Amino acid sequence: MSDLAIPTLHTEAKRERSAIGSLRVVQTASILVIALVIVSPLFMLLIASLKDDRFQILADMGSFRAFWVSNPTLSNFAEVSNLSGELAFGRYLVNSLFILACTVGAGLIVNSMAGFVLAWGSLRGRALVLSLVIALYVIPQESIIMPLVIMVSRAGMTDTFAVQIVPWIASPLYIFLFYQFFAQLPKELFEAAEMDGASVFRIYRSIFLPLSLPALATVSILMGIESWNQYLWPILVTQTDYARPIAVGIATFFGQDSIYWDRAMAASVLMMIPILALYLAFQRWFVSSFIGSAVKG
Amino acid sequence: MGNRLLSFLMASVALGGLAEAKTVIHVMHQGDPGWVSTYGEVAKRFEAANPDVDIELIYAPHDAYNEKFSAAVMSKQLPDVMELDAPFLANYVWSGYLQPIKPLIDQDVIDDMTESNVAQGTYPIDKDLYAVGLTDSSVVLYGNRKYLEAIDARIPKGVDDAWTREEFEGYLEKLSKLDGVKWPIDTFRGYGIKTEWITYAYGPILQSAGCDLIDRKTWKSVGTLDSDPCVDALTMMQKWVKNGWVVPQSSGTNQFFAEGHPAALALGGHWFYAEAAASMKDDIVVMPLPKFGPKGASPNGTWIWGITTASEHPDIAGKFLSFMLKDKLYRDYAREDSAYPGLKSFAADSPLYADGGPMAVAFEQASKTAIARPPHPAYPIITSAFMGAVDEIFNGGDVKAALTAAAEKIDEDIEENDGYPPFDEQQ
Repeated sequence: MSDLAIPTLHTEAKRERSAIGSLRVVQTASILVIALVIVSPLFMLLIASLKDDRFQILADMGSFRAFWVSNPTLSNFAEVSNLSGELAFGRYLVNSLFILACTVGAGLIVNSMAGFVLAWGSLRGRALVLSLVIALYVIPQESIIMPLVIMVSRAGMTDTFAVQIVPWIASPLYIFLFYQFFAQLPKELFEAAEMDGASVFRIYRSIFLPLSLPALATVSILMGIESWNQYLWPILVTQTDYARPIAVGIATFFGQDSIYWDRAMAASVLMMIPILALYLAFQRWFVSSFIGSAVKG
Repeated sequence: MGNRLLSFLMASVALGGLAEAKTVIHVMHQGDPGWVSTYGEVAKRFEAANPDVDIELIYAPHDAYNEKFSAAVMSKQLPDVMELDAPFLANYVWSGYLQPIKPLIDQDVIDDMTESNVAQGTYPIDKDLYAVGLTDSSVVLYGNRKYLEAIDARIPKGVDDAWTREEFEGYLEKLSKLDGVKWPIDTFRGYGIKTEWITYAYGPILQSAGCDLIDRKTWKSVGTLDSDPCVDALTMMQKWVKNGWVVPQSSGTNQFFAEGHPAALALGGHWFYAEAAASMKDDIVVMPLPKFGPKGASPNGTWIWGITTASEHPDIAGKFLSFMLKDKLYRDYAREDSAYPGLKSFAADSPLYADGGPMAVAFEQASKTAIARPPHPAYPIITSAFMGAVDEIFNGGDVKAALTAAAEKIDEDIEENDGYPPFDEQQ
């Protein structure tokens, strides 16, 4: 019986190992297919940006030739990176980076402070304020955009950097994200610091803020993407190249009659790089914030 | 020291005053990079010829132009000169945003305008001219020569010789069975339903069939847009889609000249010629739009220039427009871009559209079959309602119901605005 049992156990273990092996192969193949689906448009974008004939790009779309370039050229990048002339894309890129840095920088401070006060402050009617903040989140941007345009134009703010930064610093969504994060931290932290005589601001700055790296990373990425992709607002409140961001610059290539695919693709690649860098820089904390919110210890 | 400082300050104030003496003319426009650069160069040349004037160009992307315009109206920041899409002219004039342009533009420019160009810039109530442009537009039927020869199709020589509905549908059927043809026709559904394309390109099919988007005497849409000829025309188009004869929206706008040339015909704008010819060379045939009923019809109208009522210097704004429309380098760029002529002198200088030129038939349509989109203040509603109906019909909806709903929506808007006086008195 036992003589027979040993080979049987071996066989079962072998079967189990091969089943696990097969499952891994299927898993890996699935991941590869999904990755391919996600990466292929980006790859197509990159390849198209290296072609110098916009009609050829258009003709190649929808076939495998879209993923191949026989004579790669950087001429499109040279053209869109031109720092002078009527279409100063270099200028647009710098403008976008400046707007992003200011919006995200100021946004992290303002929204985290508001979130902290709502979570730990001695404010009366905190619950009501929090409800109002959440209620504000459901108001779509489009519905307030025109009144906002009138406000900023009366304030003489049009065609400035401030008009593209100030209205978007405070956000109900990010205030709520910070509130949720701070509210999860142990009460003892706050109480111990309070007993040591630390002010609310000191507790926020020295204890809670350093602990909120995942939330800061998440908000940085989300806010950065939002600021980077702003399109309609800058069109409405800017008139010249002085403060216009790259999203508006790229729109120039989409004319009423024809689309300049070659330069549009190159400009899109340039536009993608900074936001990709931002994501990669904060990716570790960004992912950990999601894991943290899913796994409770 | 104090005196010197005082002198310096006084000199600064005087210099500041001199700088402020320049008249600033704001010009709002759209366009692709080539046009943006061209406008910039024209502005520089105008400033060089008129040192006391500063031209400030305000660019708004094509797809957000209406929003930008609305923002300019609401914030009381209308420019002096603005580019506008011709069918929206009636709405802008009725709303009080534009002023008559004839007294502000050089007479030789006015005399140089083609009939179609005058029509697109004219407000129907006072018959006055409110906008002017170098260019106009049209839609033609492009064909793949090899495919047409393979089915032994008749190639029309001019507008009078256009295909009839029976011929056209017969050819579509033959092409659908031909090797290599995936779709007999591209009607450019790929442009989507957020542009003017559907009203601009398909409206003439209704007019050719004997109906219209709205009755142009009574300004009522019910009984016109949902009349039998319109229902029949759009049922015909729905059939093309159901048969799989039309390039779907998801396949983009390049199937006529993409690898393998999957689309045999293309109902495309004059601007499409440059894209198609670059790829197909001599294999492209340019034909007039087919006759779908008793008469031929083709669209017209493009982006033209008006002077706003907010302008404090309309005379200088007009001077700039006249300068631009006559500017040689501006015209050179327009010609390179296959622009469709709206001025006779520009037409004479455009070999592409001249007699015997590859696009001559498009220019012939302007004088023989061009019909402007309804020049009415309700046009924004007319076009959005019609585009919605066509989208529903192409997606398999009931033709009569969709057109009736669109017509009712149009009439509702006109009623809500008391008939847009004095348009209600035209009846």
